[in-house]
Amino acid sequence: MRLIWWAGTVLAISLISIILSHQHALDPIENLSLTATAPVEESLRNLASPVNDIIDGITDRGGLARENEQLRAENEALRVQLAEQQNLEQLLVEAEQALEVKQSRPEDLLLAANVIAQDPSGFKRQIAINRGLSDNVDEGMAVLSENGSLIGTVSRAYQDFAWVRLVTDPDSVVNAQVNLTTIQPLEGTQPQVLIPETPASPTPAPSPNVLEDPSPTPAPPEPSFVRGVAEGDLRSGIVLDLPSGATVEQGDLVVTSGLGGNYRRALLIGTIKSVDNQLQSPFTRTTLEPATDLGVLDTVLVLISFRPARLEGP
Amino acid sequence: MALLLALSLAMFSVSVMPYVKVLGVTPDLVLIFAACWAVIRGQNEAWLVVPAAGFLRDLATSDPLGTSALALIPIVILAAAVRMRALESDFLPTIAVVGAGSIAYGLISMAVLGATGQHIEVGQALFRVILASAVVNSLFTPVLYLPIKWLSPPPGPAVLGSRRISSTL
Repeated sequence: MRLIWWAGTVLAISLISIILSHQHALDPIENLSLTATAPVEESLRNLASPVNDIIDGITDRGGLARENEQLRAENEALRVQLAEQQNLEQLLVEAEQALEVKQSRPEDLLLAANVIAQDPSGFKRQIAINRGLSDNVDEGMAVLSENGSLIGTVSRAYQDFAWVRLVTDPDSVVNAQVNLTTIQPLEGTQPQVLIPETPASPTPAPSPNVLEDPSPTPAPPEPSFVRGVAEGDLRSGIVLDLPSGATVEQGDLVVTSGLGGNYRRALLIGTIKSVDNQLQSPFTRTTLEPATDLGVLDTVLVLISFRPARLEGP
Repeated sequence: MALLLALSLAMFSVSVMPYVKVLGVTPDLVLIFAACWAVIRGQNEAWLVVPAAGFLRDLATSDPLGTSALALIPIVILAAAVRMRALESDFLPTIAVVGAGSIAYGLISMAVLGATGQHIEVGQALFRVILASAVVNSLFTPVLYLPIKWLSPPPGPAVLGSRRISSTL
């Protein structure tokens, strides 16, 4: 009987607490708790990180060597691309100067933050950072890695701390696009002109069933990207559903599309790891490899200059 | 002492343990601690220590405050059921409580998170998180069972349960 009373009491207190917490009424307590425990947690993380690296190095030596070789090759290819990119950028700057066009997007304002904790729950993928409302960090803001790729969104902001929902969290939804490296028109999409086989009379009457265009307009250029929605997934990390028949391949870059206004355009999310192109499926399902290792984040950057649409209001 | 230990484990869970992934999940030290404490030290202590450990865990994680306290209730009930039987060792019952408690904990957490807006895919959550957690937490039980057992006074006959018959002969 006492056990039932105890269970009922804890149940009631817990439910009240959950409701209050969900409505942000207990944020000061949670902020105070993080303030007290953050230094210890950060120290423990800093101690554990190198140990983890050593253990990983010992247990996966062959894998690391292979990865190193692969990364060297990728690095070389990227350097070549960078050189071309710099050349194009220079041309763009010159063109802007010549046309007196003002740059549409101001420089990004990024706020560095340290990762102090990682949620151990299997249902979520979240990290805590030591920046909060007092540093102009707000819920919904995009969070980037040190190298500038998208790692997540601020899901909950306290006075001095914030929780960041990673792009691999099942709640994470990002409008994305795949930048295609080459433009390949799909087979059978070329416009066809049907010509009648027996044009016997010198002045043939136009047939309503025949589509003949003596001066066909040029086909619109194929877009150099495919858009979709990148969602977090407990099993695969990030899943990106694209329109059926999309000609994407392993290694293609995936960036934010900017649609919806919740993320700045062209933030790197990752690369395509696998493509599942089933004939019956209305979508081409791809899985992504995040651009940065989300398990070993130490420092992140909060994009505070870009106000997401969800924060701007109507 | 128990609360200090629970607080330390809660901090350890969000700082060091995320690096330890077995079967894709992180061992839940606070849950294992709560189960070990409830089985070894008995109901009277568990009634205070287990909910407190749950609240301390929630203060360190992103879960709504109270989720873990709620989800740990079955562990106290399971521990009480286990302690009603007299057994030579409480090690195997502790593992059973950890395993069953992990499943109950996972189901309740999933329900609370779902109710508070977190997207949960039930199939994936059941197999990839809840069942995996039950196995991994059971495997990690000795890590906390042994120190708690060592710190605890040896139980007398009355503590072992009402079914034990002791004789003066």
